[in-house]
Amino acid sequence: MPRFWRRHRHWLTPALFLLPGLILFSLVILAASVETVWISLHEWDGIGAKTWVGLANYAELAEDPQFYVSLKNNVIWLLIFMLAPPIGLALALIVNQQIRGMRILKSLFFVPLVLATVTVGVVFGWVYDPTFGLLQLIFGLFGATAPALLSDENFATFAVAAAALWPQIAFCMVLFLAGLNNLDEDLIGAGRVDGARGWRMLRHVVLPQLSQVGFIAIAVTVIGALRSFDMVAVMTTGGPYGSSTVLAYQMYEESIFSYRFGYGAAIATVLFVIMSAFIAWYLHGLIKAERSNA
Amino acid sequence: MSSVELRKVDKHYAGYHALKAVDLRIEKGEFVVMVGPSGCGKSTLLKTIAGLETINSGQVVINGRDVTREEPGDRGIAMVFQSYALYPHMTVAENMGFGLRMAKRPKAEIDAAVKRAAQILRLEEQLDKRPKQLSGGQRQRVAIGRAITRSPEVFLFDEPLSNLDAALRTQMRVELSSLHAQLGSTMVYVTHDQIEAMTMADRIVVLNKGRVEQVGSPLELYANPANIFVAGFLGAPRMNFIEARVETVGAGEITLTAAGMPALAFGGIDGLSAGDAVTVGIRPENLHLVEAANARQASFPGQVRLVEHLGRETVLYLDASPLQATNSDSGTGNFTVQLNKVSPISVGAQLTAGFDLADAYLFGPDGRTLTPRKPVPAT
Repeated sequence: MPRFWRRHRHWLTPALFLLPGLILFSLVILAASVETVWISLHEWDGIGAKTWVGLANYAELAEDPQFYVSLKNNVIWLLIFMLAPPIGLALALIVNQQIRGMRILKSLFFVPLVLATVTVGVVFGWVYDPTFGLLQLIFGLFGATAPALLSDENFATFAVAAAALWPQIAFCMVLFLAGLNNLDEDLIGAGRVDGARGWRMLRHVVLPQLSQVGFIAIAVTVIGALRSFDMVAVMTTGGPYGSSTVLAYQMYEESIFSYRFGYGAAIATVLFVIMSAFIAWYLHGLIKAERSNA
Repeated sequence: MSSVELRKVDKHYAGYHALKAVDLRIEKGEFVVMVGPSGCGKSTLLKTIAGLETINSGQVVINGRDVTREEPGDRGIAMVFQSYALYPHMTVAENMGFGLRMAKRPKAEIDAAVKRAAQILRLEEQLDKRPKQLSGGQRQRVAIGRAITRSPEVFLFDEPLSNLDAALRTQMRVELSSLHAQLGSTMVYVTHDQIEAMTMADRIVVLNKGRVEQVGSPLELYANPANIFVAGFLGAPRMNFIEARVETVGAGEITLTAAGMPALAFGGIDGLSAGDAVTVGIRPENLHLVEAANARQASFPGQVRLVEHLGRETVLYLDASPLQATNSDSGTGNFTVQLNKVSPISVGAQLTAGFDLADAYLFGPDGRTLTPRKPVPAT
């Protein structure tokens, strides 16, 4: 045994270290994904026997108006979430100033990151409450009545996405703050000697140094928008009349409430394909950045 | 009118006095090198001139204008950083033209200035490349080119050669000196490398602990250091120091004793009394091997610990105990001797080293030089 170990340890040691992770990843991610695709080709209530239906679930999906509502809402989420990186950057630039009291302000901005998403959803649910909510208090100051955002099919998605934007902005701010801490002081000095200041310092010297962080912030935000689920579940459960549902939530609803696991799996597969495109773009960017740094 | 003038410049960091009432005048067209050990405040002083560091009190005057409160970009200076600090996302040409672009100069003028600088620094081939694609020496040139295009009143260099390898460093040293001759601008150069200081400077400013120790031409500082710090800092290999005590003070002559050495007699020295602790300094090149002690020479026995053969020169490191000697190259109890010839001496050899008292320096209890001025070799 010791001889065997000595001869093979150059590959056995890393293999043993990688094994737990590999097993988990294969089981939880790879096997589950393959299984999902497999289920999507069946009619299945989750308990009984699976019936092979081929691509019938996808054909039905293509005709399903609810699917297009979900897809459209995901796009709305994506667009609203795209506000997070620039607002996060702006906040990071402000909080990064060397002013007394900024530390307290900085930690206040961290708060939504610490809160569970469900908590954020509940808090915003209260804010939007048309009778006692903060929104009503503000509208009341002007003698107006606040709209019942979460029960209005035109506003519900926007209201939920806006609530989800809050922690996302905080997350982007943290990323940009880390980036600002890593700024090359000499480069800033060179910029000052060259006479760049204010907006032009930001534009020509600071922002180019944040491009890496900015890329990560955008990519993580895109993925965050696409996989949105918990806020919808807590705040509207997709309502009213399914107007605020998103793909992830529709998948959950079809599978758990309608016992249509095959159909839910088909939605999951479509979401997976959309996500893959963004993830491929993200990985491509990361690898490119790594190469140019080498 | 001087080009740069510092008046009682004081700088505090939290709990740390970085610059202590620094007064300095730099004349137009001068190449001034500021040297000192790390932490002496030389880089802080340079950044103070640049305006990258604010000062607590005092004035910075450039070309007769008080710029103490002005932004770096308005001071008419250009700076070359140790890290080069090139903008990584810009091409070489954009890097060099950035200052003029920020000053909103017309494009034709920027292009012409960049082209001229590229010509001087032989960078014409590299103009479209990014800093990442360049070698260390080329990046250094781009950083200098960026300074040249702004045609500043004053160039500031912050240890610009310390990231280059030895061969390139020598080459850039020569290039910088000829650039100075070509442009005739005022240049302030910070380094911890005394070879750079000795070879490039019109005048050297020696800094220590935030204070100016001495200002003067390289050879003047070498021949007549004002105190023990300057004496020990300039010169390679470094000066040897021997702890001694004043024995007698007579008319025009004092005698010293040092452990392990016959009494030494120095003439023309005032202000000491019997019993004072003093330090005798002697440069390695002023030591030689002697057969036996004689009257006008100090001598002491030693054992060779290490020999460095440098071709034309041989450097010996001697264990000279019981002599109370220090040398910052070789440590306490050691002595450095530089012989201007190839020597067959090997480790372990016993020998006697000696020096002319006329070559020695005497430093008082406060570290100030007491020996009379020595002649400065003409250049």
